Amino acid sequence: MTGERPDHFILFLVAGTTYALPTKDVAHIEMVEQITRVPNAPAFVDGVVFSRGQVVPAVSLRARFGFERVPRDIKSRLLVVQAAGRSIGLLADECREFLSIPPSTVHPPGESLAGIAARYIAGVATIGDRLIVLLNLDELLNTQDPILAA
Amino acid sequence: MTDFLEGFLDDYFAECDEHLTTIRRGLLALEGSVGRQRPDPVVTEELFRAFHSIKGIAGMVEHRESEQLSHEMESYLRAIREGDARLTTPGIEALIEGARSLEHAIAARRQGDTPPDTSRAVTLLRGLLSESTPAGTVHDTAPAGATPSAQWQCVFTPSPALVSRGVTVDLIRTRLRESGEIINASPIIAADGSVAFRFIFAGALDQATVDAWAADGMTCTALQSDDTDKPIAPSPDLVQAAPGATLSTGHYVRVDLARLDELMRMIGDLVILRVRLTDSITRVEPFVPPADRRVIQEHLIAVERQLRDLREGVMRVRLVRVGEIFRRMPFVVRDLARDTGRKVRVVLTGQDTEIDKFLVERMMDPVLHLVRNAVSHGIESLDERIAAGKPPEGTISLSASASGDIVTLEIADDGCGVDTERILARAAQVGLPVPPNPDEAVLLDLISSPGFSTRDDSDRASGRGFGMAIVRTTVQELGGTIRMTSTPGQGTRFSIDLPLTLAITDALIARVGTHTFAMPQTSVREVIEVDAAAVRAIEGGEVTPYRGGALPVVRLSRILNVPVSAMDRLHAFIVGTGAATTGLLVDRILGQREIVVRSIADPLIRVDGVSGATDLGDGRAVLILDAAAIVRRARVRGTGALPAVKEIA
Amino acid sequence: MTRVLIVDDSPTIRRMVKVSLGLLPAPTDFIEAASGLEAIERLAIGPVDLIVLDLNMPDLHGLEVLGFVRSHERYRSLPVIVLTTRGDDSSRQAALQGGASAYLTKPFTPAVLAAEVSRLLGSTASPGAAK
Repeated sequence: MTGERPDHFILFLVAGTTYALPTKDVAHIEMVEQITRVPNAPAFVDGVVFSRGQVVPAVSLRARFGFERVPRDIKSRLLVVQAAGRSIGLLADECREFLSIPPSTVHPPGESLAGIAARYIAGVATIGDRLIVLLNLDELLNTQDPILAA
Repeated sequence: MTDFLEGFLDDYFAECDEHLTTIRRGLLALEGSVGRQRPDPVVTEELFRAFHSIKGIAGMVEHRESEQLSHEMESYLRAIREGDARLTTPGIEALIEGARSLEHAIAARRQGDTPPDTSRAVTLLRGLLSESTPAGTVHDTAPAGATPSAQWQCVFTPSPALVSRGVTVDLIRTRLRESGEIINASPIIAADGSVAFRFIFAGALDQATVDAWAADGMTCTALQSDDTDKPIAPSPDLVQAAPGATLSTGHYVRVDLARLDELMRMIGDLVILRVRLTDSITRVEPFVPPADRRVIQEHLIAVERQLRDLREGVMRVRLVRVGEIFRRMPFVVRDLARDTGRKVRVVLTGQDTEIDKFLVERMMDPVLHLVRNAVSHGIESLDERIAAGKPPEGTISLSASASGDIVTLEIADDGCGVDTERILARAAQVGLPVPPNPDEAVLLDLISSPGFSTRDDSDRASGRGFGMAIVRTTVQELGGTIRMTSTPGQGTRFSIDLPLTLAITDALIARVGTHTFAMPQTSVREVIEVDAAAVRAIEGGEVTPYRGGALPVVRLSRILNVPVSAMDRLHAFIVGTGAATTGLLVDRILGQREIVVRSIADPLIRVDGVSGATDLGDGRAVLILDAAAIVRRARVRGTGALPAVKEIA
Repeated sequence: MTRVLIVDDSPTIRRMVKVSLGLLPAPTDFIEAASGLEAIERLAIGPVDLIVLDLNMPDLHGLEVLGFVRSHERYRSLPVIVLTTRGDDSSRQAALQGGASAYLTKPFTPAVLAAEVSRLLGSTASPGAAK
């Protein structure tokens, strides 16, 4: 987060916690119908979908953060993000709202939140009595993780 | 609400950049029209729209100064456009001052600085309208000195097939504009309820162009000069032809791409039928007298050959010379060079290289953009070139070549090369992250980022700041790659590799459990039915009887981590040759299809055994399997060597 | 799958509309057009369930597009939400008289736009709240 003006985020829900990503990183939000499983892909990758003609991985944020998967429902959303020339879909339970988060309300991650690896977290914002976890997109999409066999 | 809107500030700035470029260019052009009864209507309209658009989005993001300034300038331009005001020298000056203030206001907002004082500019602009004198009611629609050109009525009928090829009403409009002037454009409803667009167009069209455009859904009829005053009603033969009919003009026939696909599908079905026929004949062969046996074999071989030729013939109908793309480049370059005061020549090579029509349509605009860039950013002015010891005339070379499955398009210039410093500075300015030691790939990435648009006053050509981004997206969508090489002072080259007959291939579609997969036809030698009971486990794997020997088989269900099938009859793809022949077991083969291969680029989903994905028509991603990789993987996983297989002829 | 056609010559505004409507509960596919002619083309090759239509556009004015849409048997009852610029009252009147199903002024509230779209599409679910 740089500069004077607050950054603008899109908020979404995964396993009860509210997360945020900068709106500029989110290309679009989609409802997801069918996800095609890809054998031997990392465990947190649910599979692939076609998005605007492109084959895009669908990453289960629940799985990525160590929660159990739940069946998708009408509120589930796929946030198609773009980072370093890649297009990746992130599966969220619900996609809520837009919010500007002033840098002054953001603190570095302290103790890990309920088991989520600290490196996915860019910071935690406290706005009123809300706790919003700002995600580090690059870490989230990092492929250096040891591949977990399916 | 405010948060939502502020999240779009980047879009706002990016769009403003585009419009500001148009404005700078337009004001330069407009300067030449001062005092004329009616300034260039095209430029006037462009400027009007640019101010109008900025006003609109400035209002959306609540950027007051910008909204106000653009509103004033829009009003003045509107008055000029409608002949209510004349373009005077103070008028131009006020516009230039206004544009400058606008730029400052936008930059200030972007950087979070205090907004500049725009009152002077606003006052100047307001003053223009209160004392303007009407320019008179003369309507000279043609620029002075233009010779009257032929008029045409062009009717374009859109269709999903045309759109999927990239032939949209927008493309049609661009083509018309490049060849002349559109006098009128309106949607019409044909007798059968279908929608079409009618353009009244003034320009010179040769028969080849008319024929080529007819193949893209647009029929053009020349109008007699006295026809233009009469209201044009769609004549009966311009009404949408009944589905399936074709319009013949000379040697050309208009063919719907969808019908070609249908033909390909039918050929695919024939291929499968031939395979089954071969199977049946093999079974009855022992009972047939030898003389007849030979004749039957000959027939089978002939059928196979004919089918192959038929298939290639239909594919060839879709192939078009790359020259189609290159054809108009010399004209574009000539006009542009003249406008920018440079001397440029165009060298074309490899025009006879053939590529799928679909690629031609999609690559037209990207190549155009690169060529324009080369002229306006690459080639230096005459003085600069002479000072650098270069020939005064710059050269842009366009070439196409095919090698194996790839066609390579190259656009090169012998100009000044890319200015790395300026690109990095601009990247920093718009907030694009730059890795250390950026190489040409990184630079290409930067200039292809939406909203990058370098600021350059002589930027007549590239206008839209999204040009390079569109070039990159288009190339990617076509499954290709683009590279840039550049030497400062010597020139720049863009090299685009595209998969040839696109990534369209024949595939067999199979089901394993509830999963559907595609297997490229070329990997499959044969397809057989296998009795589940006849699959025996042996050390290191499983085998099944095949042609008197034992064929090692691999269950795709196991490789793909799908529950093993309970079916008692399975199918197998026979892949590989000689000792490596293996049968890949699937539950059922659903048929053969021609598929468009979409590459799987992201590292997260690149797995051994999967070579891509395709859409069978329902929007779902269907994985395309890599037979060789699967067999390899199966061998590695097995606890021992697979049994030696009797040589299978 | 609901298909919404977004017509506006500003890419900024088109994205704003897309993201706003991303809050809708029902599956929605977006088709974009940057001009009146393109909009009609997209409509012709269809299908489209609802149109969000800007008025001020380079080739065909939005009202002309609306007029064309309403004059065609097939599209007569297609819901069309017209987006007008602030304070443009005469356009608002013309839009309603021209057959617009609803109109909104810019700047618009995402939740309001999403609600209007929901209403016109007959959906009963409510869109997510926007702060």
